[in-house]
Amino acid sequence: MSRLPQDLEARLTAAAPAGVEFSAETDQYGVTVAWLGLASAADLSPVAALLKDMGARLSMITCAQPSVPEEEEDEDEENEDGEAKAEAEPKETPKTFGGTPLDGTSYEIDYHFDIAGDALTIIAYVPQGGSIPSLTPLFRNADWHEREMMELYAVKVTDHPDPRRLFLDASVDGAVLERLIPFSTLVNAASTKGLWERLTAAGKKGAA
Amino acid sequence: MSTHNVPETFSIPVGPLHVALEEPMYFKIDVQGETVSHIDINAGHAHRGIEYLTTKRSMYQNVVLTERICSLCSNSHPQTFAMAAEKIAGIEVPERGIYLRTVADEMKRVTSHLFNVALLVHLVGYETYFMHMMQVREIGQDMLESIFGNRQDIGAMCIGGVRYDLDDKSIAYIKGALDKIETETKDIIKTFKTNGSILRRTKGVGVLTHADAITCGVVGPVARASGVDYDVRREAPYAAYDRLPLVVHSLTDGDVWSRAMVRLEEILTSIDLLRVCLRDLPGGPVNINDRPDIPPGQAVTRSEAPRGEVIYYLRTNDTPQPERVKWRVPTFMNWDSLRFMLQDAKVADIAMIVNSIDPCLSCTER
Repeated sequence: MSRLPQDLEARLTAAAPAGVEFSAETDQYGVTVAWLGLASAADLSPVAALLKDMGARLSMITCAQPSVPEEEEDEDEENEDGEAKAEAEPKETPKTFGGTPLDGTSYEIDYHFDIAGDALTIIAYVPQGGSIPSLTPLFRNADWHEREMMELYAVKVTDHPDPRRLFLDASVDGAVLERLIPFSTLVNAASTKGLWERLTAAGKKGAA
Repeated sequence: MSTHNVPETFSIPVGPLHVALEEPMYFKIDVQGETVSHIDINAGHAHRGIEYLTTKRSMYQNVVLTERICSLCSNSHPQTFAMAAEKIAGIEVPERGIYLRTVADEMKRVTSHLFNVALLVHLVGYETYFMHMMQVREIGQDMLESIFGNRQDIGAMCIGGVRYDLDDKSIAYIKGALDKIETETKDIIKTFKTNGSILRRTKGVGVLTHADAITCGVVGPVARASGVDYDVRREAPYAAYDRLPLVVHSLTDGDVWSRAMVRLEEILTSIDLLRVCLRDLPGGPVNINDRPDIPPGQAVTRSEAPRGEVIYYLRTNDTPQPERVKWRVPTFMNWDSLRFMLQDAKVADIAMIVNSIDPCLSCTER
């Protein structure tokens, strides 16, 4: 049923020497959605080049910071209670199958491709402070996705031909999805306060 | 200094607020005389951080929120989001709900396409016909208001089905409205094929070649007008599209006229699909009448909005809020193609070419 090439998994595995995790599922309409996790983000470029040869269309790029898997939560609570010192060795940080720590600060970058109507998502993991090669030289339409990713997260995209801000102004600090921005700051309530102070001062001056 | 030394290249700003542009986008355009030589696109005037907001709302609140991302394809967002949630939770939408989703989808497509082509006629300068076309669209808007109680955000979708139902009376009313729109649309197509003013302004203008369309990864009517024969409704069916007589229209010239013509033909196809849906509408419940918790998981779903492919990525965890929601709207892909369409275009055609990609900024920037 699937329109993905029969040997897709074998060819992708061959293009990613560090290892892959492949899964695919076909729904009742006969549409296949496949996922390919990469053990190493360095394998992204050869895999993308292979997909380009196969006539795939890049549909979307999603960047996210996966939360820490469930088991770790208890430990976090203990830390907050100040019992961390009583604990012996801290538990090991869970890792992806490729060894990227899942500590809530690593990035998961999903490249969603379309192959003749079927969907294939390539998943790359990048640790905090790490970088990922740009796909824009291969897929022209990766441009905006990568520029947006760079302003929403602190992830570095190497060799991007035009790494300017996309939506956010250059005066705004980057990585906006990685920090809490109070609502009052977001809607620029500071200017309202400033306006109030100016008006109050002007009122006093007028009365004097 | 003689006049010969005056530089021939000028840089002109178009937007972000411009009388002929429908959206707040800023184009920095270098012109040589009257011809465009280079364009730079500067976005960000309608960025609202909705992606962040989705992770602070529950799955069920997000159905309401995603509808407000865009007004013209407002139905496609909650539908694709709900499809992702249903996939993760293994929810099966009842048959009647599946058909009613298609009905809402196609009604929105009819009015969205009519709106865009009407605006094209306005930019061509044919004001009388623009007003006529808006009047035709109004039949569709009346239809939306009568059935859903709202003209733009119709609130038809929910996780597990739809929130509205049709009876014999409303079905007869829709059929009557569709007959009127169909007759008028056939007339509009005839006008587009014969009217000198429209043909002179739109034929061979703003061309996007097939090769450039593939390179840019454009979607929807913009892609189909350049010979990229791709429609999510056929390629990756959802709702009831796998059992409907869907005709995908594509042309090869890739100019402003072809994009308008693809949209006009699609209106007629949508009307056909609506008639089949109303004829075959199965009985039973319209939704699952339940609000189950969505378990942890991830899903990618796609649908064909009026402007092309909408794709949603949803990742859920143990909380009622999603961990990450990401979506990409058709216009996000189509802006880039303007660099090709506007190259060597005349200054007077800029607004018309921009309109021909049916731009939607509020959903591009979110």
